Amino acid sequence: MKIAVLIKQVPGSESALPIDSEGYWVDESSVTFVMNPPDNYALEEALLIKESNDDVEVVIVSMGPLRVQKVIREALAKGADRGIHILEQDITEKDPLVIAKRLSNAIKSEEFDLVLTGLQSDDTGMGQTGVLIGEILKMSTATLAVETIIQEDHIRIKRELESGWFQWVQLSLPASISIQSGLNTPRYPSLKGIMGAKKKEIHSLSATELSKEETLQKVNNVFVPQTNKQTEIIKGDIDQIVSRIIEILRTDIKVI
Amino acid sequence: MLSNLEKIIFVILALCSLSASYVTFGRMFKVIRLGAHPIRWSDVIRNWSKGAAAFFGQKTVFKTRPIIGFVHALVAWGFTLYLAVNVIDVLYGFIPNFKFLPDNTLGDIYRFFVDLFSVLVLIGVFYFLLRRFLLNDNRLISREPVMLSDKAKRGMFFDSLLVGSFIIVHIGSRFLSASFEITLSGADWSQPAANLVSNLWTDIPTGKVKTLEHITWWLALGLILAFLPYFPYSKHAHLFMGPLNIMVTKERSSMATLGAINFEDDEIDQFGASQILHLAQSQLLDGYACIQCSRCQDACPAYVTGKELSPSALEINKRYFLNQNMKAISDGEIIEKQLTDWMLTEEAAWSCTTCGYCVEVCPVGNEPMVDILKSRQNLVMMESSFPKDAMETFEKMENYGNPWGLSPQDRENWMEGINVPLMREKKNADVLYWAGCSGAYDSRGREISQSVVNILNEAGVDYACLGNEEICTGDSARRIGNEYLFQTMAEQNKETFKQYDFKKIVTQCPHCFTTLKNDYAELGIELDVVHHSKFIEELINDSKIKPKPYVNEDITFHDPCYLGRHNNEYDAPRNVLQSILNDGKLIEMEQSKSESFCCGAGGGNMWYEVKTGDRINQNRIGQAVDTKAKTVAAACNFCNIMLEDGVKTTGNEENIKIVDIAEMVSKGLN
Repeated sequence: MKIAVLIKQVPGSESALPIDSEGYWVDESSVTFVMNPPDNYALEEALLIKESNDDVEVVIVSMGPLRVQKVIREALAKGADRGIHILEQDITEKDPLVIAKRLSNAIKSEEFDLVLTGLQSDDTGMGQTGVLIGEILKMSTATLAVETIIQEDHIRIKRELESGWFQWVQLSLPASISIQSGLNTPRYPSLKGIMGAKKKEIHSLSATELSKEETLQKVNNVFVPQTNKQTEIIKGDIDQIVSRIIEILRTDIKVI
Repeated sequence: MLSNLEKIIFVILALCSLSASYVTFGRMFKVIRLGAHPIRWSDVIRNWSKGAAAFFGQKTVFKTRPIIGFVHALVAWGFTLYLAVNVIDVLYGFIPNFKFLPDNTLGDIYRFFVDLFSVLVLIGVFYFLLRRFLLNDNRLISREPVMLSDKAKRGMFFDSLLVGSFIIVHIGSRFLSASFEITLSGADWSQPAANLVSNLWTDIPTGKVKTLEHITWWLALGLILAFLPYFPYSKHAHLFMGPLNIMVTKERSSMATLGAINFEDDEIDQFGASQILHLAQSQLLDGYACIQCSRCQDACPAYVTGKELSPSALEINKRYFLNQNMKAISDGEIIEKQLTDWMLTEEAAWSCTTCGYCVEVCPVGNEPMVDILKSRQNLVMMESSFPKDAMETFEKMENYGNPWGLSPQDRENWMEGINVPLMREKKNADVLYWAGCSGAYDSRGREISQSVVNILNEAGVDYACLGNEEICTGDSARRIGNEYLFQTMAEQNKETFKQYDFKKIVTQCPHCFTTLKNDYAELGIELDVVHHSKFIEELINDSKIKPKPYVNEDITFHDPCYLGRHNNEYDAPRNVLQSILNDGKLIEMEQSKSESFCCGAGGGNMWYEVKTGDRINQNRIGQAVDTKAKTVAAACNFCNIMLEDGVKTTGNEENIKIVDIAEMVSKGLN
């Protein structure tokens, strides 16, 4: 069985996010990049499947500039077998369809049985890549898996619905599944893993050769949200105060 | 005295005993030599005075428990004297009418001391047996949920009884033998006790007294022959393995520096210790040196607060595991049983705060903390089995360069509004002021950094900070067992250091201090590092700053483990405090200086929580409250955080406040 885990490198949640001089994207020079945390759960799920089944190969696929090789190595250190790096120098945001097409072209020939992705990326949070790849490569697709069971030529997954409901679905392989965060505990690489990862293969492909298609969406401008403080001192008797608070909660903050 | 038949029997028994001992002692030393990191046996010569001070002077026994220590010293001195007595007694048995220096003052002095110490040893050992078997002193046992093997529990009981009985019968028989000899040959006032007892035998016919003398001679010396081969299996071996251990234990620049691992060496396939022979030879020797007094257990903050760790249980488990497998191991068998299955549990390993008190207090130079650190290296680097919170800490250190996981771009935020020179602008300075991660990110830590800077500015010190270029020293990574991450952080800092010119580093965090000073030296990064307590003390002594003595209430000082026990600095912070005391006094807590009780943060415990038992910081705050001082002075950012938490969670916010010595001095300058 061959499993592809799609991993994105994103700015860490505590990283500085300065806007570049043109106000067009972030200035990467002082950004701390990390493995997209939801993808870490997808990777762990793939590694658990590898550990409990025979002959499973886990391949890491990541797109971006040279820096993304750091997260590929990290995944290899945790136990993945090899990596595919789709070199994309242009860091501007693209729409998910273009991304999915490039990734699909890159992995088509590998004929993966399973494509696992995190439920979304922690930067732009589109949450579509896995599903789109599934559609493009004519795989069965499902989202938000909280449990996976491999059974011969199909996979059973438990999906998380709203309000504490769950749904079991059975998909034929090949399948593309997005993994809900928190379903497992991602591991820390052992030293043997870290050392071994240095010798594992990362195959590089050029993104522009995979698809010439231009992005359909364009980012006009990025900015840091303006925050402001408003203070209102509510005066009057109890009834007046209560009705004013209710009004604020209902109309201004819209929480009741 | 002996008949020819007795002489022949004695010689045969002696030969049998010596051959059997050759085998058992040989096994013991072979097992030790199978461990990792060879002992340098030449250290025995180099450190002979340390061994002699422990063996003859009993110096290390008096560190704690002075009364029991004194009784022990009497027994030990008596037993040492008996090494000579036994030889002389053999001569007495073999040479007819032999008497050691008869009618000679020196001979009389010898007999007087033998007589005296026979009585003292007997009293001492009776007391020890009473304490262990009747008084049930719970300091000699480990409470639940500490892991102590059944083999060890049974073995301790049996061995203690055996050793105690052996000494009583051996010494008692020798003493009685002397009294019979007096009955036969007339009063001897150089042996007052035996002389007194000899009066009991005056009515017994001479022939019977002679027989009794023979029996007691045989009991005294025959017992030695019988006991000798058993020595390597008994804790009594501590009498020579203890001093030996003191002489050959690895000299460390600081208690927790284990030596660097070379990750480039492809031949190393095991990092840390997962099984018995992964332990260093000196750690195996520790097991043989341990007498099971459990002074380390009394000291251990994890044990005292009810956690799964007992350093003595660790050593005792090790000893009985070695006893059980001594033959197999010495025959070359590899026993792969995981240390965490029989020596200490994983939770016990994570409970250690690496405070170093167990190492400090051990009379025979054992280092249970080192076993724990080695075990952690295995759990982290080989097994990936460690607290989840520690994993997050590693990831934060890897990604953000600090265990808080805060943005590296925010490292200079604490400097806002104050004048702090930066290395990247200045390029060189006498002093590199290292604020550390807590000094840069923690709200209280920032106030301490601001106070240090105020002192440096007031004193006109030529200094600069690294600011955003600084990353964590890697202390917590190393203590938790992630040597690889520690070395990665160290290499990165080394590259930063190379860019600038400075003479020394000053830091307020004892963890940064010891890591930069002692741990980095193991990687070949030589730095002159000074803790702020020492640096401020020097500034005061050189009259560079003159803080006003403004404090009119009592202060108590909490010794940080990594400043005190790990680096032997007890005076500097106290001297600094004296400079600002006016009407107030410096009062010591129940445990201070080398006996100080940990705050609970060391060894990476700052970043994960062992939930079993009470909280260590609350225990320490209890001791601080008992002094009635309103201020606890600290000299470590971790201690500050832990003690403040302890103050809040014990509801003592009204009674006590935690202040760093730098803050107190800074206040005296304005």
